Amino acid sequence: MANKENTEVLKDEALKKQSFLNILRASLPIIGLIIVFIVFNALTKGNMWTSRKLILNQIYVVLISAVGVFFVMTLGGLDFSQGSIMGIASIVVCKLSGVNMILAIVGGVVAGALIGAFNGYFYVNRKIKSFIVTICTMFLFRGFIKYMASNSPVAASMKVYDYDTTPIKLGITVAVLLISYVVFRFTKFGINLKAIGAGEKAVMFAGVKTDKVKFLIYVLAGAITGLAAFVNIVKNGSATANVGNQLETQILIALVLGGMPISGGAKVRFENVIVGSLLYIVLNNGLIMMGLTTQAMQLIQGVIFLIFVAIFADRENLSVIK
Amino acid sequence: MGEIRLQVIDVSKNFGITKALKNVSFNIDKGEIHALIGENGSGKSTLTNSLTGIYKKDSGKFILDGKEINPANQVEANNEGVSIIVQELGTLDGLTVAENIFLGHEDRFVKFGIKNTNAMNKEANDLLKKYGFERIKASDMIENYNFEDRKLVEIVKATYFDPKIVVIDETTTALSREGREELYKQMNRIKESGNSVIFISHDLPEVLKMSDTITVLRDGVFIDTVRSSSIDEEGLKKLMVGREVTGGYYRSDYGEKVSSEVVMSVKNVTVPGLISDVSFDLHKGEILGFGGLSESGMHEVGKACFGASFDREGSVTLSDGTKINDIPTAIKHSIAYTSKDRDNESLVMNQSIRDNICLPSLTALANKLHLLSDRRLKKFANKYAETMSTKMQSVDQFVSNLSGGNKQKVVLARWLGKDSDILLLDSPTRGIDVKVKQDIYQLMDKMRKEGKSIIMISEELMELIGMCDRIIIMKDGKINGELERNKDMDENSLIAKMV
Repeated sequence: MANKENTEVLKDEALKKQSFLNILRASLPIIGLIIVFIVFNALTKGNMWTSRKLILNQIYVVLISAVGVFFVMTLGGLDFSQGSIMGIASIVVCKLSGVNMILAIVGGVVAGALIGAFNGYFYVNRKIKSFIVTICTMFLFRGFIKYMASNSPVAASMKVYDYDTTPIKLGITVAVLLISYVVFRFTKFGINLKAIGAGEKAVMFAGVKTDKVKFLIYVLAGAITGLAAFVNIVKNGSATANVGNQLETQILIALVLGGMPISGGAKVRFENVIVGSLLYIVLNNGLIMMGLTTQAMQLIQGVIFLIFVAIFADRENLSVIK
Repeated sequence: MGEIRLQVIDVSKNFGITKALKNVSFNIDKGEIHALIGENGSGKSTLTNSLTGIYKKDSGKFILDGKEINPANQVEANNEGVSIIVQELGTLDGLTVAENIFLGHEDRFVKFGIKNTNAMNKEANDLLKKYGFERIKASDMIENYNFEDRKLVEIVKATYFDPKIVVIDETTTALSREGREELYKQMNRIKESGNSVIFISHDLPEVLKMSDTITVLRDGVFIDTVRSSSIDEEGLKKLMVGREVTGGYYRSDYGEKVSSEVVMSVKNVTVPGLISDVSFDLHKGEILGFGGLSESGMHEVGKACFGASFDREGSVTLSDGTKINDIPTAIKHSIAYTSKDRDNESLVMNQSIRDNICLPSLTALANKLHLLSDRRLKKFANKYAETMSTKMQSVDQFVSNLSGGNKQKVVLARWLGKDSDILLLDSPTRGIDVKVKQDIYQLMDKMRKEGKSIIMISEELMELIGMCDRIIIMKDGKINGELERNKDMDENSLIAKMV
């Protein structure tokens, strides 16, 4: 009997130890964010804090579009086409901004959703792995962008500058985050999404129309990035041939920095998006302020990315990337 | 008793916090079949895996013919004269039959760094012939053979070098009747040659029939070693569970009339390559059994009725005229399904017990705004997990950490929560120990009395005979006979229709 009690105590201790490790893991991105912020402020002698508005201005686009990819990655997929979706949607927003601003917003969202549907069709109906499909669409639509914006950038109507205010940009961002959070945490859709990431077949046998969910998620991810394109144009005023270039990589890095498990599933948390995007932008700006060259920055980003993936990769679950 | 072959002395093994084996000691004699039994998680496989070098034991000794052995892997264990046949597939895809048989021992065929494939194939073919498995060709790729044949290859692999001890770890649950007979034959051959077999099985009648001596483990502790001739099934159950197993195991009623009300009508259902032209009616309050060999197509019947079969023809119709053609419709109309492939099709492994139980009931759990609260989900999951008396720390725990029996309880808890009226249970007690089995049988009996209808698909004939109102036997994808519940039914009358 004494033996049994003894094992119980041992068990409790080990569980505590385990949950302590889990908490440490979960809080690493936040701790990282605080440390990085403090370090860069110290190194730039407070320069970073004084230019906080500038930094905040850069975060909207990445943060909004990261929400869509967050959903995609939760169900175990990947999406590399976000940069090209951003590009096409930005051009649509520019063209329509002269007609009507509401129409421009809707147009951007619809354009994004259509490309998302294109991704979804090949992924779900033609059963091609999501990272292959989206790499293809990335190149395909980048081609269109180059055709449309190579000679001269597509300029938006001057009216868009009226919308270039912090309340509007921050408002859109917060609204997207809030709605997405509620959908993710408190609806059937959100729970199904996580479950698909953890084990698609069993979820199908529990009566979920998994193909429909997967298709819708790509449409949604496209639509959200389409909305981010409006914010992007409001900020920049025109779309160049390079608009949205490498956005997909930025999003991926941001999510991984935020502690997102690459294979999705039950361990995904909504905080991953917010903390990750903040961490990415702070890191990026800090490195720029330090006066690093682009080459050196990419090198450092690569190293940091690798370290975070190594920490957060859910190795039991890695085989299920779709 | 004969001479001692293997002494197990004070063997212990911990997995992190779990003490899987606590100072286990017993002896195995020469020329005996020594069964090792116990409930799930009692330490049977841990012990044999430590013996064969798959795990490293923490302390204690294995003494084989007076010499301590300490194998670091299976190849070393083979060289010491110990081999194992595992529960699931133990052969490797991408290799030929011969390469699988001689895996880890290829050196015998290597000269000057070059492998003599012909010599290897020739020796493998000779072995296969000796065992009577001529239809398996040594030079074929292993994946060209089905599960059964691959198990036969494994038997050859584990026994061709006359090991002093062969471990057979729950292999029989995965085999059809012919496969089992083949395995029994080999076990007796090993025994007659003076070597010993360690036989792990949940199937107590099989254990009593095959073994000379039985060692019982419970919670990693040695309980007793008994002669098979001096104990019966009830006695073994008592040793395994640690108390008298009270009440009946199966249903005790006979001659009760089943309602004539049809709740599900299956007409001319065909799934290409699996089942053809299957028709039957399921009645209210009935337990309808499906038996047959593993490949008879009976497992597909459950899937077909659930709308989960690919390319199905024919119709599955409910009493209100609804046609079941896809899973969401099936669930919406109160049909539940537990798959034989529990870990892939019934449970999301890396997901909490909570979400696994709530998954099909989410719509019902949402409030007017279609929102779900964590508290409500947790309460729901707790209620049904507790009804099933699932052993867990909390419903937030991942399903992957549960034992087989508790996983099955989670699956059943899910459908209890959904309050399904028609239950399609495929192998509901597969790999599950006596106590949980009894719980599941009692639950089925209770549901039957509440007017729910159950289709039970099982490879265990005794449970079909014990639980079902009617048993349909499948053979080669077709219905090959039907038997009514009756006190005098025995396994042979079912087997006659199966083969």
